Amino acid sequence: MTLLEVHGVTKTFGSLVAVNNVDLTVAPGELRAIIGPNGAGKTTFFNLITGFFPPSSGQIMLDGKDITRATAVQRIGMGMARTFQITQIFPELTTRENIQIAAETAMGLRLRPWIGRAERAAVAERVDESLVASRLTEQANRLVGELSHGDQRSAEIAMALALKPRILLLDEPTAGMGEQETFQVAGLIRRLHKHTGYTIMLVEHDMRVVFNLADRIMVLTEGTLLAEGTPQEISENPAVQAAYLGTAA
Amino acid sequence: MLTLVLFNLTNGIILGLFYVLMALGVSLILNLSNVINFAHGNFLALGGYFAFSLAPYLGYWGAFIVAPILVGVIGVIVEQTMIKRVYPRPHVYSLLLTFGLAFIIQDMCRTIWGVNGLPLSIPNALNSPLSNQFFFLTGYRIFLVAVVIVAVAALFAFLGFTRVGTRIRAGTFDLDTVSALGINIGLLRALNFGLGIGLAGLAGVLAGGQIGLNPNMGDDLVLPSFIAIIIGGIGSLTGTLVGGLIIGIASAVTSIWWSAGSEVIIYIMMVIILVARPRGIMGEEGMMT
Amino acid sequence: MSTTTAPGAMAAKPAAGGWLHLVVIWAVLISAPAWMGYIGGYDALASQVLIFGLAAMGLNLLLGFTGVMSFGHAAYFGLGAYGAGFVLRYWVHSTPLAILCGILLGTVAGVTFGALMMRRTGIYFAMLTIAFAQICYYIAYSWNSVTGGYDGLRGFSRAPLHLGSYVIDIRGNGTLFYYFVLFVFAICTGLMGLLLRSPLGRTMIALRENSQRARFLGIPVEQHVWIAFILSTFFTSVAGALYALLNNFADPTALYYVISGNIVIMAVLGGMLSFWGPLLGAAVFVVLENEISSMTVNWMSFIGVIFVAVVLFFPRGLLGFLRRRSA
Repeated sequence: MTLLEVHGVTKTFGSLVAVNNVDLTVAPGELRAIIGPNGAGKTTFFNLITGFFPPSSGQIMLDGKDITRATAVQRIGMGMARTFQITQIFPELTTRENIQIAAETAMGLRLRPWIGRAERAAVAERVDESLVASRLTEQANRLVGELSHGDQRSAEIAMALALKPRILLLDEPTAGMGEQETFQVAGLIRRLHKHTGYTIMLVEHDMRVVFNLADRIMVLTEGTLLAEGTPQEISENPAVQAAYLGTAA
Repeated sequence: MLTLVLFNLTNGIILGLFYVLMALGVSLILNLSNVINFAHGNFLALGGYFAFSLAPYLGYWGAFIVAPILVGVIGVIVEQTMIKRVYPRPHVYSLLLTFGLAFIIQDMCRTIWGVNGLPLSIPNALNSPLSNQFFFLTGYRIFLVAVVIVAVAALFAFLGFTRVGTRIRAGTFDLDTVSALGINIGLLRALNFGLGIGLAGLAGVLAGGQIGLNPNMGDDLVLPSFIAIIIGGIGSLTGTLVGGLIIGIASAVTSIWWSAGSEVIIYIMMVIILVARPRGIMGEEGMMT
Repeated sequence: MSTTTAPGAMAAKPAAGGWLHLVVIWAVLISAPAWMGYIGGYDALASQVLIFGLAAMGLNLLLGFTGVMSFGHAAYFGLGAYGAGFVLRYWVHSTPLAILCGILLGTVAGVTFGALMMRRTGIYFAMLTIAFAQICYYIAYSWNSVTGGYDGLRGFSRAPLHLGSYVIDIRGNGTLFYYFVLFVFAICTGLMGLLLRSPLGRTMIALRENSQRARFLGIPVEQHVWIAFILSTFFTSVAGALYALLNNFADPTALYYVISGNIVIMAVLGGMLSFWGPLLGAAVFVVLENEISSMTVNWMSFIGVIFVAVVLFFPRGLLGFLRRRSA
């Protein structure tokens, strides 16, 4: 049983091969991490999966359906949701409004110039669920641009949750964060995975986060798949130690 | 009939050359500064008027050289005092700024040189028709064509072979990288702005000798030069060159059959290009967005 | 830090302001004919403020609330005017039909041009809006037999309104016509207010705030830019239709790019991040332009200086500026 399947995906920019013939399968309920040194093609690979740009060759399937050529918007309609390395939010709106926009879009209301009482209540319920899950209820009515780094990242994840995704894709969720905030965001990801059973795939730099959270890890170097396995297997893999862990510490 | 066609074709080429000079200047500024310069036609008028006022002291040839340079210098001053302050802001501000400047410069010309047209006299040697049958082929027109060819060639040589020119072209494609290489973007943009405005000044001196001077003389050239850029393809100076010539000739040829259509045809061509080839004739794929 | 800040900062809030705001704004607008005279105004000037205010608020749906730049809204304003004029001049003597046809002409152009432009962004989009407006200008200018060419479409006048057997004669009475304009203005601003509180309105604001985020929430950005563009041209063409009724003519200057620039400066001058800002901007601009053009031959410089000063010194507009000061 697989949710996300990637077969031999390659992406070239001119003569540069950013991602070279990479395979991946993610099972439902799994938390999968992608690691690799800088320039290993992690983010490019991530962008191929989320439809930021199409691959040069290879195939991407979501739940058995070929999405290789699907647009980002279509993929989101099919159950993907993503966050960005640099937090992408609507800074001059409140946290609630940010999540509300996500919820209304996911509920097919984005084109509606009016909204009924029942629908309004349904939206509010979904927004509240996301607020609770991301522990942002206290910050609901504040401008999201004024929140702390960690809360902004939580808000971005909350927006993704409001889409009720089948797979949550997080691009370096703790990038640029301090100790406290890394702890906060990692805690949120753990709760989403362990308690709510979300399928999550993340690209990450922070090794502690990866080895604590992930069920399985894939290691990319220079655009190719170096190793794949449980955190235990990865940490014991000599190739990984040589190519990555040895130099990254 | 042949004479009429040739007459219109000549007019078209001349008009196209003015579009080219204007559009190249607008395009330079658009590419590197991301500013649509509404005041470009007013800098053209300024060029003509400067030549008019300088000619008694410097003679025609002196004024011919100095006026465009002076306009270019004013361009740099305007860029340094006002335009550069809106670079980091949304496009609406630069549009409004150049829009306001257009009003101010036009009114200044009106106040200083008067509302009525003024003649910019040209040397007698340039004034006579070369033949009786082809009365429209005056020495001045030949001169004009030669000047524009030299100016455009010089511009492309400058952009292609000098260090500053190479940097300007590189900045058009990827300003961040150019900046990361430690090149002074501010200075580059100021020079480039002055260069673009200087081209408008040159067009003004040339136009003054052809149609005389008035405060609105550049107005009718501004919007067609935008169209030349769209048709040629945003981001490509060669495209702008081609676009300017094409619309100049198309509007002159159209006016043979349909005199009111000379302007409409430009826009019809733009729509056709937009539908058939959205990035323009020579536009870069990435520039269409 | 307090977590009980009122929902949404003013700068972002699409809402039309608190009740007090609304009461003051409508009290001023409703009583305008009573006090206009004392400060040197007149009914037609007040109508003009409302009309340009509506045009600028329409533009601002796009500029301020969707974050997309149009520098060619004269097209939809002018087509609204010509559409109304065509009905009265060639077809029937009916004010409501004139307005409807004005809206139709302007909005159909908005739909068409918008479809050709929606995939472009930034400065390229702005450039195309200018070009499309200029197409309309040249058509109006050249198609003499239908549009009256340079002189414009003349020889029509607004028709009395029939409400059942009751007739409101807005023809010669400037004050009554002002209230008619205010009535249409009220309907339009009410619709805009509702729109901005709806999911569709929030989607528009999302594009302004961060179009990449919006796309990766599943919002097709181009489609929504197009829709916002159409809505914006709709309201601006209503203003244009009223403009033709006010003047009893429609001429090419209504389509000229100077009008486009004026509409944009009104929105920015008043404050494009606020709902009512463009109305304030229109009031200041229309009154100043009227005063200055009667005072000096150098009015162009003054108008130009207004543009430059707003850009360099009041980029947030009057409402943004006041709010900043009081904050």
